[in-house]
Amino acid sequence: MARPKTVRAPTTASLPNNLRIPSSTPSLTKSLGKLSRQALLDLAFTWLDDRNVASFPPYLQTDEDGPDDDDALPYPAGKTIEEVRQAYEDLQDRKGAKREVIERILEGDWRHGITLRQLAMADLRYMDDHPASLRWTALELSRTDTKRKNFNGLPPTDWSGSVPRMQSATFVQSLQREISPLVKAHYHLAHSATLPLTFLRIFVVDSPYQSPRQAAEIFTDSSRVIYVAFPDSCPYVYTSIATSTGSKSAPSTSSVATDTRTLQRLVRDSIPKALSRPQERFSLQATSLAAKNLPTLLALRGPGRSTASNGAFSIFADAATEGSPLDPRPSNTVSPEEHIRASHSGPTEGKENTNSPATKRRSSGIDTAPLSPDSKKRRLAIHSRFGTLGSSLAPAPLDRLDIRLLDKPGSSDEQYDDDVDDSIFTPPALSLTFSGSHVIGGIRKLAELGIVDPERMPSWMTGEEGVSVATVRLGRRLQKDI
Amino acid sequence: MASHAPASPDPEEEELDSEIASIRAEIRKLQKHKRILTSSLLTTDPVQKLLRKPQPPTTNPTDPLTRIFPLVHAAGAHTSSNHHRIAFGATAFPFKDPSPAANGVTLLGVRIDVCTRNGRFAKPYYVILQKERSRAGPGAGGADSKVLKVYRHTVPAFISIAKLESVYLPRPGVTRDNGDGAGGGSSGEDEDTEPAKPWKKGGNSARKQDLRGFVRELRRELVAWHMRVDAVEFLREKLGLVGEGGGPLPFDVSPDRDTGIVSLAAVAIEARYVRIEWVDGRVGRFKLSNTGIVERAVVIGDQGRDKKVEDAITGGGGRVETVLDRLRAEVLSGSPGR
Repeated sequence: MARPKTVRAPTTASLPNNLRIPSSTPSLTKSLGKLSRQALLDLAFTWLDDRNVASFPPYLQTDEDGPDDDDALPYPAGKTIEEVRQAYEDLQDRKGAKREVIERILEGDWRHGITLRQLAMADLRYMDDHPASLRWTALELSRTDTKRKNFNGLPPTDWSGSVPRMQSATFVQSLQREISPLVKAHYHLAHSATLPLTFLRIFVVDSPYQSPRQAAEIFTDSSRVIYVAFPDSCPYVYTSIATSTGSKSAPSTSSVATDTRTLQRLVRDSIPKALSRPQERFSLQATSLAAKNLPTLLALRGPGRSTASNGAFSIFADAATEGSPLDPRPSNTVSPEEHIRASHSGPTEGKENTNSPATKRRSSGIDTAPLSPDSKKRRLAIHSRFGTLGSSLAPAPLDRLDIRLLDKPGSSDEQYDDDVDDSIFTPPALSLTFSGSHVIGGIRKLAELGIVDPERMPSWMTGEEGVSVATVRLGRRLQKDI
Repeated sequence: MASHAPASPDPEEEELDSEIASIRAEIRKLQKHKRILTSSLLTTDPVQKLLRKPQPPTTNPTDPLTRIFPLVHAAGAHTSSNHHRIAFGATAFPFKDPSPAANGVTLLGVRIDVCTRNGRFAKPYYVILQKERSRAGPGAGGADSKVLKVYRHTVPAFISIAKLESVYLPRPGVTRDNGDGAGGGSSGEDEDTEPAKPWKKGGNSARKQDLRGFVRELRRELVAWHMRVDAVEFLREKLGLVGEGGGPLPFDVSPDRDTGIVSLAAVAIEARYVRIEWVDGRVGRFKLSNTGIVERAVVIGDQGRDKKVEDAITGGGGRVETVLDRLRAEVLSGSPGR
């Protein structure tokens, strides 16, 4: 902080946490304005917390140079931190617009600037509040090293998956080592408050200088921010594809746009390297899943039960058909909801957090109204095909599903897509794109309405594969995308 | 007007509504209780014995015994399967994939039950195996031999099904591209060794599939995980870090009086590592083994590593359940030093 502004030398260090963005930057108001009033207040309390206040010192009277123009400002500087805290507690107690909180932060207590770290915290808070705000791609970490000689002999005793043990500080350090020659970045790592995830927010600039001379707007440019999320205890990594958001939010010059994309690619490439250690190399592999919703990714590529059993098999993931062995009631007399609820003794909090709202929502769709035998039969078929998935509000709403069909149009056993078949004349491959707030739920609805035959539809329509992009031949997903 | 009505409902109405809701909840609770009682009654020994005695006359359709006969039968079957689940922990069942692409092939399901610390059973874990015709295994027993392959499972991701599968359920020639990449450990190795030792592949495919071993190891791993989670929970309870409902306390906890620990929690869902924080700013981390032994411990304070506390955590047999006692003893013995 004491670094004189006049000396500018290119360095390989990361952007400092306490680099201040001038509070007068208009886009700062916008990026803080995304948050709710409560979130802003919570943030202010976090910044003023005893443990953090050293990193985010508010503007106090002692900081003022002269005793003048104190009354001219709408927010007089507080004398002590306690006083500043009290001001926010007063804001907390009374109702009002969030505007006043933002103004108080920007023009009052942090009038000397918002640090990069504060901005990162605000962004992550927004992420916690809006888990569907970005589009995420799930990647799988897999080990590429292989020097275990005695593998065929005695079986190894360690069955733990290839989850890299990540120590956040070390990881950021090695990531910094990887990308610092190419990119200047600011890193912020934090565990999500609501989901079992660790977020890494990387902000990249293409300047080698410690305090870049670009306009302050650049710090709030969302296309320069890359998010990487590490779900707890599982070999997956989620990244935000900022290219899509960048093209929308930053209609700036094309050179900058391409530039950020290159920077993003550089960062993405260096993540597996930073996670690797000698004798333990990781590489990232695509898992053909991208979705807007983080809970979706957690359900389909997460540490929990539903990662490898979806669609018809989701009854196993939810344990919806059989109860605990201590339950004296025959399992067919107990409703699935009760099973899901009864066996809620998930051993960990994290899992509990992801599961309990999910099950509540999942079960809401399974209702038993008196039905005609025909629709009863269809209902049974739907239940057997979709399991508990996709009923009203499943926890894993896919917002987009891209299917490429490789079947010859003439082959007889592909009659399930009536509305599509008449459009096929010559093309050998056919791509279908479903998009919406909840694709699988929509297909389930269609099946309930009798538009889709639940018994004959292929399994990719039930979400069984847990992917958002698939190549299908004869109703089966091909493992390798062609 | 229409929008006004729901905005401010009649307080009396509201009260009635809540009353109705509570009565309904009560009815549901009682119904559930009744069903549990009837089911328990049906599975009791005397009832089941009565059933096994000379068959009741089935000619009379209004005879109550005839009507409850299927119920009693179902209850009996259910109890016996429950007994198996409790006693053996792993049970198998057939499952039919409803997908039309599966051609009605029956899958083999394995259910694993794990009993947790509070005497309840966790949600059962399932592994659904697919029978696959082994293609052209040179050393294997002919073209008709069927091999098993994990198709779906509900095992948490940190237990590597792919690794287990590659050891216990090897399939000839499939180790390379089993799609889900997590088998990287084994597949990569094949790549390494194959060019040098072509006979290795033959030896690999000749290895028998061992479903029992697979299930045994998987269950052992799952039980170990639950034990680790339970152990951490036990320690948290002892420290008073757990609230009444089992959740975290809403207020800031006061440090444990003897040891000065303010926080103790598993690092991730896997609960392999446990993180401790002391009131004086020291932080520690220890690693739990599958058998409940503290394998390694690191405690770092302002003056660097705190070896005495580390020794206290790992020493004395290293059982995780007694970690707090050892820490207490260490604090008492070393109090002049602090």
